[in-house]
Amino acid sequence: MSEFDAIVVGGGPAGTSAAMRLAANKLNVLLVEKADPPGSKNVSGGVLWGNSLSGVMPDWEKTAPLERYVKSKGIGFLTKDSSIDINFRSTKFNETKTGYTVLRTKLDQFLNKKAKDAGVTVVTGVTVDRLAFEGKKVVGVEQDGDIITSDAVILAEGANPRVAIDSGIRPPLKDEDVAIGVKEVIKLPEKTINDRFNLREKEGFAGEYVLGFLDGGVEAGGFLYTNKDSISLGVVISMKHLRENNKTYSYDIVEQFKNHPSIAPLLEDGKVDEYSARMVQEGGLASIPKLYGNGYMIAGDAAGFSFSNGLILQGMNYAIASGIAAADTVVEAKAGSGISEQSLSRYEEKLMNSFVLRDMHTFKGIGDITWGSLIHQKMPGVLEKVMLGLFMEDGEPKKHVNQIVKEALKSSGLKSSKLLLEGYRMYKRM
Amino acid sequence: MTLELVVLIKVVPDGKEVFVDPVNFTLNRSMATNVLNPADENALEAALKIKDEHGARITVMTMAPPFAEPFLLECMSRGADQAVLISDRAVAGSDTYPTSLTVAAAIKHLGKVDIVFAGEKTSDSSTGHVGPGVAEFLEAELATYSRSCRYEDGFVIAERELEEGVEVVKIPTPAVVTVITDSNNPRRATLRKKLNAQKKGIIVWSLQDVGLPSDWVGLRSSPTVVKKMLPFPAIERKGKVIALDMIDDFVKELVDSGIIKRGGN
Ligand SMILES: Cc1cc2nc3c(=O)[nH]c(=O)nc-3n(C[C@H](O)[C@H](O)[C@H](O)COP(=O)(O)OP(=O)(O)OC[C@H]3O[C@@H](n4cnc5c(N)ncnc54)[C@H](O)[C@@H]3O)c2cc1C
Repeated sequence: MSEFDAIVVGGGPAGTSAAMRLAANKLNVLLVEKADPPGSKNVSGGVLWGNSLSGVMPDWEKTAPLERYVKSKGIGFLTKDSSIDINFRSTKFNETKTGYTVLRTKLDQFLNKKAKDAGVTVVTGVTVDRLAFEGKKVVGVEQDGDIITSDAVILAEGANPRVAIDSGIRPPLKDEDVAIGVKEVIKLPEKTINDRFNLREKEGFAGEYVLGFLDGGVEAGGFLYTNKDSISLGVVISMKHLRENNKTYSYDIVEQFKNHPSIAPLLEDGKVDEYSARMVQEGGLASIPKLYGNGYMIAGDAAGFSFSNGLILQGMNYAIASGIAAADTVVEAKAGSGISEQSLSRYEEKLMNSFVLRDMHTFKGIGDITWGSLIHQKMPGVLEKVMLGLFMEDGEPKKHVNQIVKEALKSSGLKSSKLLLEGYRMYKRM
Repeated sequence: MTLELVVLIKVVPDGKEVFVDPVNFTLNRSMATNVLNPADENALEAALKIKDEHGARITVMTMAPPFAEPFLLECMSRGADQAVLISDRAVAGSDTYPTSLTVAAAIKHLGKVDIVFAGEKTSDSSTGHVGPGVAEFLEAELATYSRSCRYEDGFVIAERELEEGVEVVKIPTPAVVTVITDSNNPRRATLRKKLNAQKKGIIVWSLQDVGLPSDWVGLRSSPTVVKKMLPFPAIERKGKVIALDMIDDFVKELVDSGIIKRGGN
């Protein structure tokens, strides 16, 4: 007999949700997290979108360490001198909260504690080496030569899935599937944040930016989220681009973002509290590995479940939902025919019926757009020229808007036919 | 008979996060997270090495509030066999004297002991008293500042790192050995041992359990009086760079700035 009904590897949103759900169904669960305390190594710009957590914690909005709810969502195109922003604020967000900013160090510790309270055996500060096999069947995990046995293993180890790769159940990551995310947390008084972002207590701002001004034409997206008394800010740079421009360091790019004339005043007098870098999965549907096998399932970032369309970066909600689906699959299998590749195939079905895999299918191929030169290099410049044409009083006679747009496009070297084509592609895929 | 080893540990605020309050000259630990005293990690590793070679039962022990529990479990996760927490409101405010007394009483309560290991000092108060104090109360032999040690037929052979050089001593057990920081590479915890430690849990003793009256310990029975703390002024480095092949210039610079003296002849 196995020591545990299930072992969950990784105590991020995916792993803790899976573990809580399993324990709620009276299963004997081991959760192993390498960081101690949990969350101390996790990077997230931190908006928890949606309501997935209610699946394991109905009262999460009251009990979880949430910073602010998203009241104001921004999208910005930055050129060297200018910024063109869309800022959507709505009182509708007061009633139905769409997202909350979170600090992962706090959230992950909270989730691990909740798992422990729910009866999960939580072990922190050890790294699982690989899956333990008996023939083709996974019978537990291996750590420092010891084997801990379980009927099922849920791998929720995040964007750098060493255990899955070293166990031979998924291929190594390819450069085009990953981006590097770099984040800083900058301390500022709560009131200063409220004033600078035009927020009231508990209201928050979440902004994503296209950085069209970076040295060497590097393509990167920036993000900025307000916490209670700090700002999470960072950039996401595709690995492929980072390698092609091997002179650019992710750190420089964060600095360029922070020093942008529209961003710098928001951060003035802030103190950098935390700095970290990590991988983000960006490969979309094409990079998703086989999600289950005899005795195991892969959930969260480890399975490549994340969504980024340049306007929003999401992963935690997919992590939680997939963790719950994996747990339910174990529960059903154990109640039915037992754990087998066949019974665990229900996991994929569950995901197909939920937003997790639906979104991945709906938005397949979006990476070509979000990491295209149109968005990153051309668009910000064109927008800037149009805006200057409209609003800069330079003593010249005024022009019609279509004339301004035409000239802006021309100087950027974009043909309007190309723009139409690209624009249409983009529109279709978003 | 199995060797009985005891390792004394203390949970301390992370040294990197502690500072002397510049206004009222007290130690400000409010921002600090807790860690295992660095030298104690080496003390545990020294004990584990002896266990590897001879087989032994290792008991880790600390006198502390209950927040020390995870640290005791961590020591078990690296290979200690059991952990004792001496926890009692009456010991609050104890300095190194009643602390040594209490710990010695707990070790006696444990039964036979061959070697007691402790860190050379703690990073938060740096007195280095407790190891020697325990030796005194146990009437055991003592080897301080050990950088490595082994066990041989009822004796401990310890290399002591002193200012003048290294001294090798051979002392009979029962003995107390205090271990210097960074003298070995502490092993990491394993998942299997962590699970076992969680299952087993720790042993908690009160003063009564170890047979001490409460008026022998605590602030009132502590002879130390802390009058004042002063911050260390930061040392300004000159930051002068001298190329590696300009060794003469380097020596001249040291002589000119009075760091070294020119020889007599
Ligand atoms: C810069 C940046 C910004 C982001 N912003 C957002 C955002 O605003 N909103 C959003 O929803 N998502 C965001 N994401 C994505 C989000 O962080 C991830 O999608 C999410 O954390 C995935 O959760 P997970 O549980 O699958 O993995 P993780 O959160 O990565 O958790 C995996 C855990 O497993 C542990 N682990 C790994 N290997 C082992 C092992 N071998 N043994 C034991 N433990 C192990 C790790 O320590 C870690 O705690 C962002 C990501 C980055 C990098």
